[in-house]
Amino acid sequence: MSQVEKKAGLLRRTSSSKKPLKEKVVLMYDEIFAKEDPAKNNPRFWDELFLMKVNLEYLESKLESVDGEEVQRIQDNINSLFHHCVQALGEEHQIKVVNALQTLCALFRGVHQKNKSASGFDIINMLMGFDKAEQRMKDLMERLDSLLCGDSSESLKSLCLKLLLCLVTVTDNISQNTILEYVMINSIFEAILQILSDVSSRGQHGYDAVVLLALLVNYRKYESVNPYIVKLSIVDDEPTLDGMGVVVHQALTEYNRQYKDKEEENQGGFFSTLTSMVGSMFIADVDEKLSVQTNEAILLALYEAVHLNRNFITVLAQSHPEIDIATTPTTPTPTTPTTPLGTTPPSLDMMNNPELPLDPNLQTSNLLITFLKYASIVIQDTKDEHRLNSARLCLIILTCIAEDQYADAFLHDDNMNFRVNLHRMPMRHRKKAVDKNIPSRPLVCAVLDLMVEFIVTHMMKDFPMDLYLRCVQIIHKLLCYQKKCRIRLHYTWRELWSALINLLKFLLSNETTLLAKHNIFHLALLVVNLFNMFITYGDTFLPTSNSYDELYYEIVRMHQVFDNLYCMVLRVSTNTGQWKEAASKVTHALVNVRAIINHFNPKIESYAAVNHISQLSEEQVLEVVRSNYDTLTLKLQDGLDQFERYSEQPKEAAFFKELVRSISLNVRKNVSLNTLSQDVLLKEFSTIS
Amino acid sequence: MKLQSNLHGGGRSFLAAMMEEAEQDTSPAPSDQNSPSPSISSSPSLSLPSTPSSSCGPPQAATPPLCVISEGVSELSLVIDAEVAQLACQEVLQKVKLRQVDDDVTHLQNGAGPQAEPAIAKPSKIREEDDPEGLAPGSVKSARRRQRHNPSKQSWLLRLFESKLFDVSMAISYLHNSKEPGVQAYIGNRLFSFPHEDVDFFLPQLLNMYIHMDEDVGDAIKPYVVHRCRQSISFSLQCAWLLGAYSSDMHISTQRHSRGTKLRKLILSDELKPAGPRARRDPLMLTPFCPTAAHVGGSGPLGGDHGLSPSKRTHQRSKSDATVSISLSSNLKRTASNPKVESSQDEDSSSSYDSLEFDSGPPVRLAPQREFIKSLMGIGKRLATLPTKEQKTQRLISELSLLNHKLPARVWLPTAAFDHHVVRVPHTQAVVLNSKDKAPYLIYVEVLECENFETSSVPIRIPENRIRSTRSVENLPDCGMTAEQRAGSFSVVPNYDNDDEAWSVDDIGELQVELPEIHTNSCDNISQFSVDSITSLESKEPVFIAAGDIRRRLSEQLAQAPTTFKRDPEDPSAVALKEPWEEKVRRIREGSPYGHFPNWRLLSVIVKCGDDLRQELLAFQVLQQLKSIWEQERVPLWIKPYKILVLSADSGMIEPVMNAVSLHQVKKQSQLSLLDYFLQEHGAPTTEAFLSAQRNFVQSCAGYSLICYLLQVKDRHNGNILLDADGHIIHIDFGFILSSSPKNLGFETSAFKLTSEFVDVMGGPDGDMFNYYKMLMLQGLIAARKHMDRVLQIVEIMQQGSQLPCFHGSSTMRGLKERFHMSLTEEQLQLLIDQLVDGSMRSLTTKLYDGFQYLTNGIM
Repeated sequence: MSQVEKKAGLLRRTSSSKKPLKEKVVLMYDEIFAKEDPAKNNPRFWDELFLMKVNLEYLESKLESVDGEEVQRIQDNINSLFHHCVQALGEEHQIKVVNALQTLCALFRGVHQKNKSASGFDIINMLMGFDKAEQRMKDLMERLDSLLCGDSSESLKSLCLKLLLCLVTVTDNISQNTILEYVMINSIFEAILQILSDVSSRGQHGYDAVVLLALLVNYRKYESVNPYIVKLSIVDDEPTLDGMGVVVHQALTEYNRQYKDKEEENQGGFFSTLTSMVGSMFIADVDEKLSVQTNEAILLALYEAVHLNRNFITVLAQSHPEIDIATTPTTPTPTTPTTPLGTTPPSLDMMNNPELPLDPNLQTSNLLITFLKYASIVIQDTKDEHRLNSARLCLIILTCIAEDQYADAFLHDDNMNFRVNLHRMPMRHRKKAVDKNIPSRPLVCAVLDLMVEFIVTHMMKDFPMDLYLRCVQIIHKLLCYQKKCRIRLHYTWRELWSALINLLKFLLSNETTLLAKHNIFHLALLVVNLFNMFITYGDTFLPTSNSYDELYYEIVRMHQVFDNLYCMVLRVSTNTGQWKEAASKVTHALVNVRAIINHFNPKIESYAAVNHISQLSEEQVLEVVRSNYDTLTLKLQDGLDQFERYSEQPKEAAFFKELVRSISLNVRKNVSLNTLSQDVLLKEFSTIS
Repeated sequence: MKLQSNLHGGGRSFLAAMMEEAEQDTSPAPSDQNSPSPSISSSPSLSLPSTPSSSCGPPQAATPPLCVISEGVSELSLVIDAEVAQLACQEVLQKVKLRQVDDDVTHLQNGAGPQAEPAIAKPSKIREEDDPEGLAPGSVKSARRRQRHNPSKQSWLLRLFESKLFDVSMAISYLHNSKEPGVQAYIGNRLFSFPHEDVDFFLPQLLNMYIHMDEDVGDAIKPYVVHRCRQSISFSLQCAWLLGAYSSDMHISTQRHSRGTKLRKLILSDELKPAGPRARRDPLMLTPFCPTAAHVGGSGPLGGDHGLSPSKRTHQRSKSDATVSISLSSNLKRTASNPKVESSQDEDSSSSYDSLEFDSGPPVRLAPQREFIKSLMGIGKRLATLPTKEQKTQRLISELSLLNHKLPARVWLPTAAFDHHVVRVPHTQAVVLNSKDKAPYLIYVEVLECENFETSSVPIRIPENRIRSTRSVENLPDCGMTAEQRAGSFSVVPNYDNDDEAWSVDDIGELQVELPEIHTNSCDNISQFSVDSITSLESKEPVFIAAGDIRRRLSEQLAQAPTTFKRDPEDPSAVALKEPWEEKVRRIREGSPYGHFPNWRLLSVIVKCGDDLRQELLAFQVLQQLKSIWEQERVPLWIKPYKILVLSADSGMIEPVMNAVSLHQVKKQSQLSLLDYFLQEHGAPTTEAFLSAQRNFVQSCAGYSLICYLLQVKDRHNGNILLDADGHIIHIDFGFILSSSPKNLGFETSAFKLTSEFVDVMGGPDGDMFNYYKMLMLQGLIAARKHMDRVLQIVEIMQQGSQLPCFHGSSTMRGLKERFHMSLTEEQLQLLIDQLVDGSMRSLTTKLYDGFQYLTNGIM
């Protein structure tokens, strides 16, 4: 190859010394963009072309600069280039394959750059020609599939995935990328699965494969039958699903770690906190520093897996020892021994198995725990669009999990106790919880903690109504499961109750501002109904009889809030207006709470009067509550334990469209960077060949 | 061939044994027991009468040909038998101690042995007499007649050997004591005629002799061991483990070249695989000779039948273990939704099926089980490195869930009594047991019972996710189907890859809609309340409920809940053990994707890593032997020997005792005296329930008191004594027996543990039950004394070459023998029992020791 280049250089120097020096490959590109068939004069033109180092910028800019008329003129040549690229993928010569892959990349990108507005069909025509498109794409996909599944070099596989990512993200809206229709027909799903199921390839390409899969699943999701959706939904091979889980787990762990590092950096001690506080007066804000780029692509992949594939739920609970990526950067961290019983000769390395490090300080973790930690970081700050989207997606995933029976089973499994260190926002009125003291509890406690944490930290003017709704619904779904299965969770429900009451309080005090944007009655109804769950069904899931008394105590103690809420909804429901209906629902829902307040308040007052006590202690109030149950009658409300199941369509469709668009943009940006720096790769191959 | 011939040779045997070595190399694998040998072609229907093939039909099936054989053999034996064998035997006889003979006489007098011995080939001298009734083979009558007829003509020893009373226990004893190669070789051959289970019991003794005794004994034993190894995977592994464990006390340099190590290597290299291919190729030729063997051979292809569906594109996970191992290792891209891979997989498996199932290479036959055991041990080792119980438990659960991925497989729990395949380990149920530095743990294992784990097909994997499996169950038309049929119907459910096109997004939507139905269905069953809410929906009439009712229901339900132990992260096993076994089985079965199979069973096992279980095994054998002695003598003593599996000198498995918690846990939880606890559990002292529990308690106490005395079991704190649901006590942990005791603190000098609380349960020291207790002990001791040798030999053989602490010092055997008090009269024995009981009752040391345990280990 170098010889060819040398020759070219020599030739150039003698023949056209005045002209600026041009690479041979550039000259060849020029030839393609000329009218003539480049192979006419040089039959070995295509052979030679793929021996040249690709000049992506030039090729792309050339493609962009072609204007309307020229397109017609050079279409044959571009078709031919595409055709030869596909052919070159089958070459034995690795250099040619590499160059062909990159050229294809440039072709896809260049053509799309140029024709942002053009229809997909024009693009297909320009690249491949209508009549041959089907065959060309079939060939391309087959070649890519065999490259990915075969035992070609890892860099080559990586490049294949990059090309696919590039192809999938060339348009802002993935559904408008008509070429993907061929990717649907010629599925590479199996190749992706294979990468995920194999420990070593998962380590190197797992991330790209998972992102690619997540994007492909979102191609015309709502309009047509997407075979990737169908296939993903029925995968039941554990190593593969586990592989997917591991990739997501690692990505999220990495994020959590980065965040923690930054946090520690920022809170290096008293002095640094002080300086950063002072500094924050001048510089934008501290949070900026703390925000690590969230990873929506991987979160989307997690969502699709949880949402589409029922078997993936088991992977969530699949425990891995927590892997510190920083310490083991090179070794891909396999979590499933891929060798089944009986195939490997008995090995003594069971003890020093890399997958299960022996460090006793490592807490056992699983994907769900890592995800919960991730979510606890992400939902802290929902100010910018990305983070809001991430938080929303996290809550959607949790919604799906809370609805799944199997997931609920292991969330509530009394034998599976974990310490989950959720991140809690530092706030003025509370200290940062000491991590070490978190008790080991069933996982559902961590979910509830996370929900409570969200509720108490997001009562702000720019009210994230959508997130609150999801949050309250998740709690409701968990309660429904507990009621149904009579699981008496030992959880400090009081924290939840007071968080919910505070939320109602906030809604009341910001009624006017909030009503301008949101239907606060809907949220209020959900919250009140949570209380109704506890009041009417508490016998089925509360852990102690005392906890039922405490519920009444809490309601009576905070009766002001409920009174005010009732006044407010009564007022709105008697007026005519758009909220009439919604508000009257809340009035009905409040019936039991009000009955409790009206029943016990006089009793407590008289108790105080009789005993001449001005301030009753908690124990005294509880005593009054206990002795006066029998005269209280409650109304059984309908459908408290029913909930609407999550469905993506039509409610969430718009959100996912937008999300996928932003992910596409992000991926495209990152992929282009990577493909350009392929020197390493070339070096590798030049030594081979 | 020669193996069979050995069998028949009463005395002809050592000649055969000598030939054996020569034949060993040249002869092809002795292909079961049925290939006709050229040397004895005159008796073509030779078959092994007494080696019932473990895999198939009743051993009796082989009896019909037996009569024919006897005649054929007797002709042969005429040639070989007479001179050599009898000479040798008579010589030996002189050396045999008189005591033994006396013993044997008592044996003879004791009447019929429990098991009907298969007929042994008759020596020439009595042939004529037996000929007329040669058609009544193996009948007790003929055996008796034989004895009756030749008392004077034959040497006692040979007569004994040929009598139907000669059992494995005696065989082992003579093998050990006799210095005569002839006798040893004879007994080596006789082993073939005993039922497998009987010999298996003495396997530790056999192998220990093989390892530590001289060439002749080894040569006598080896053919039998090799033969059995060829027949059975589990026997092979059992041998390999025991050989490893009992070789470990040898010096490292001798160990490497020892016979035991060599045999172990031979077994593990799996050269002793059955000659399946031959059996398979010539089934026709074999059938007439041995119906049972033909059945074995036949079950190979039969087992293959349900796997032989390469044309069907199902994704049966396991066509055989061979395919499992292949499909999982080399071809991981196999997924349900990957038709491309799937089809190639099928080709693979169908081609590999033949080659691997029958000409099985080393990995396939033994490796799954070895790998399984190794995984369990690996877990134990890693757990030991973790500092807290909580971390251990978490790690255990996560490790087991990984293990689950590789199940079902052709693996089994060696402690189980039936053939099965392990399908799942309910990982969240596993608990770490209390131990200071080791990490023994208890796992529950779901298995599917099968006819034969070597030939039955491994069950198909069902995904963990419960909902999917519910769907599968719905699709089952009939629960009584055979496994193969079920396999077929199961594959239908996940078999989407046939027509991907049929799947649309809508279908997925439908699936999701299905879920709430399942939800409501199940919730109706569970909660009456949701029914209430539904009815109220319909009626539209407001329903009122009293708050007081809700509150009352809550406290009632909380009170009703079965008294479980409180979850304590420092004692995770307490909760798990407290739950009644039936309850646990039901609960796990409900949660298991395999629970709907009629042959689903739950087993449990304690995995011990870093502990030497050889002493436990020895104790198990002694207990088992005493148990059968007491049964034989009809003494109602109750003991519960629990199975021990020795895997190496520092690892093994234990069969947990069902429905039993330790006295420590009982006391800690109930805070009651033992008697009050009995009253609480079983009712008032006059009730039948209490009385039977009390009787159980007394009988078990008597049994274990004797055992503790005879074996000098020490370390008897309340954590080592279990109480089961019927009132029996069960002693566990025989880490300190015979010559060893813990820390030499000088505690526990009493003969056994008998606290006043125990006596109270028995109704006080003056009660009838207490006298019954003492009487039982006396009867038990007399019975044990009568059969002392059966106990002694077990211990004595194991002492050979052993460094175990229980054999420390030189007086172990003498001490043990003395404790049987052969010289005392029954009156004197009664006195002795009284003394022992009094001493133990009054013994301060028991109390002291409990106090010591409470201080050091927190055991009450």
